[in-house]
Amino acid sequence: MERTSKLVSLAQAAANIHDGDRIAIGGFAVYQKPMALVREIVRQKKKDLTIVGIVNSLDADLLIGAGCVRKIETSYVGLEKYGLAPNYRRAVQNGEIEVDYYPEMLSWDRFRADREGWPYWPVYYLGGADIVLRNKNIIEYKCPVTGKPVWAMPAAKPDAVIVHAYQGDRYGNLQLPERHLLPQIQDADLVRSCRNVIATVEKIVDTEEIKKNPQRTFSLSFRNTCIVEAPFGSHPTATLLATKEDEMHFREYVAAAKSKDTFDEYLKKYIYTTEEDYLNQIGKKRLDSLKEAGHE
Amino acid sequence: MNRYTTEELIAVHLSHQISDGEVGFTGLATGKAAANYIANIPLAAMGLAKATTAPNLTILLAGWSVNPDLANLSKMPESEYDTELMYLPCEAQMVSWPGPWSHHRGEIDFAFCSGAQVDQYGNVNSTVIGDPEHPKVALVGPIFVPEHMAIFNREYIMMPHHDRRNFVEHVDSITGVGYERGREGRLEMGLTGKGPERIYTPLCIFGFDEEGKIFVESIHPGVTKEQVIENTGFDVGDLGNVPFTAEPTDEELYLLRNVVDPNRLLLGETE
Repeated sequence: MERTSKLVSLAQAAANIHDGDRIAIGGFAVYQKPMALVREIVRQKKKDLTIVGIVNSLDADLLIGAGCVRKIETSYVGLEKYGLAPNYRRAVQNGEIEVDYYPEMLSWDRFRADREGWPYWPVYYLGGADIVLRNKNIIEYKCPVTGKPVWAMPAAKPDAVIVHAYQGDRYGNLQLPERHLLPQIQDADLVRSCRNVIATVEKIVDTEEIKKNPQRTFSLSFRNTCIVEAPFGSHPTATLLATKEDEMHFREYVAAAKSKDTFDEYLKKYIYTTEEDYLNQIGKKRLDSLKEAGHE
Repeated sequence: MNRYTTEELIAVHLSHQISDGEVGFTGLATGKAAANYIANIPLAAMGLAKATTAPNLTILLAGWSVNPDLANLSKMPESEYDTELMYLPCEAQMVSWPGPWSHHRGEIDFAFCSGAQVDQYGNVNSTVIGDPEHPKVALVGPIFVPEHMAIFNREYIMMPHHDRRNFVEHVDSITGVGYERGREGRLEMGLTGKGPERIYTPLCIFGFDEEGKIFVESIHPGVTKEQVIENTGFDVGDLGNVPFTAEPTDEELYLLRNVVDPNRLLLGETE
């Protein structure tokens, strides 16, 4: 018997996400978001998703603007230097989606609870904050050791985790570059919270190539449901040491998202087509200019 | 031409608040005014402290770049996880969570945060404007503000704009907790950080007294008491005896401009 290849198409990959799922989206803020998968989720018109997030940006804004989201649990939805997230703002202000706020690093700790098999992660310093008044899923209890108040932050419990990585093999091993930063390490924590990991990679490499630098493997093959080769799979966000952020497209997105009508046009033009067509519309010349030196 | 800018005035004042051996944490913000107050002024202040009275200061740039060579910056990073920032020489980088510092144990001595609103109790709001159940404006969310205000030992609230809509009687949502229940109240709630220490604005500096009550500590030279009263949405009391903010010395300005920030990226040109 041969080892099973998990290499599939983008459409097959996104089919592993179901209406009503809790999905965790890799990357951090505007860095290395699995946007090809996000676009495919929109194409497949998934509904009633809950985004279980840490620091969200374009990923959440696009899914919300396309009507795929019922609820988001997060510490931040914004576009950093590009400003507030227009679709998110509109949806919250119109009461179209539910929001449960969590503090930033505690959002991350919720995934540590999943890793440890704990139903919650404890935190002792939320007294007086609106977060505990309004988020009914954070439960106050008395510390059995000190008698002081403690709050139980519910584990993240994602049904699926989607990430975009530097490289991987057909069996689902995922690797990051030798030099890396927090967004890449956050992906490593997310994948350890769930056995339904759906990944895109800039490049599929041979397992022999993976074995040359096993210290770079952050997700083991058994976690992955499937893997997709998707160059520029984080566009317009950057993939560290592979592709740069596409500022021009970010600005085009923000301008389009200013109203529901113009955003519907954006969706029609760029998303409700194929990923190949999306990249063609961005254009080879621009994409080539976004490649980081040394990455081919 | 003024001898110094408001940003330099604040940076030098802040540098005097830093003791040797402390650990200081700053985020990175984008947009000119916000970046100045949240990242650039704090970095300049920490750089100046390190060059003068606090050589053992640990600077956590954006939380993850430890004691970076600030003078080697050729341009201000536009984003927190810029590849260029990765290659800026520094002593350590945070490449795991939890990382090289343990904020839950109280290892951060002081930090800087901001929000759309701050109130007379030092509460900070970065979550929503209006009724939190039906927000008029959904801001970016709490981010790291709850942690900053609860467990970092001293918090400096950096407000790039000082007017009535930012300085309110009571914030619409308490993202970061100040002294609404006094200093004692913070202890009872289990908050281990001492709370907001000062609020820096383009007009003045607010402090908090022994009970956690806000007061105007000093007004920047060139600013009038009326300006502070008119632009603050809560009662600032009698400003009769409030002094001017202490001015930087020529030596401090020289160090700031030539040693700490030789490329003039942090605080800009003086003219």
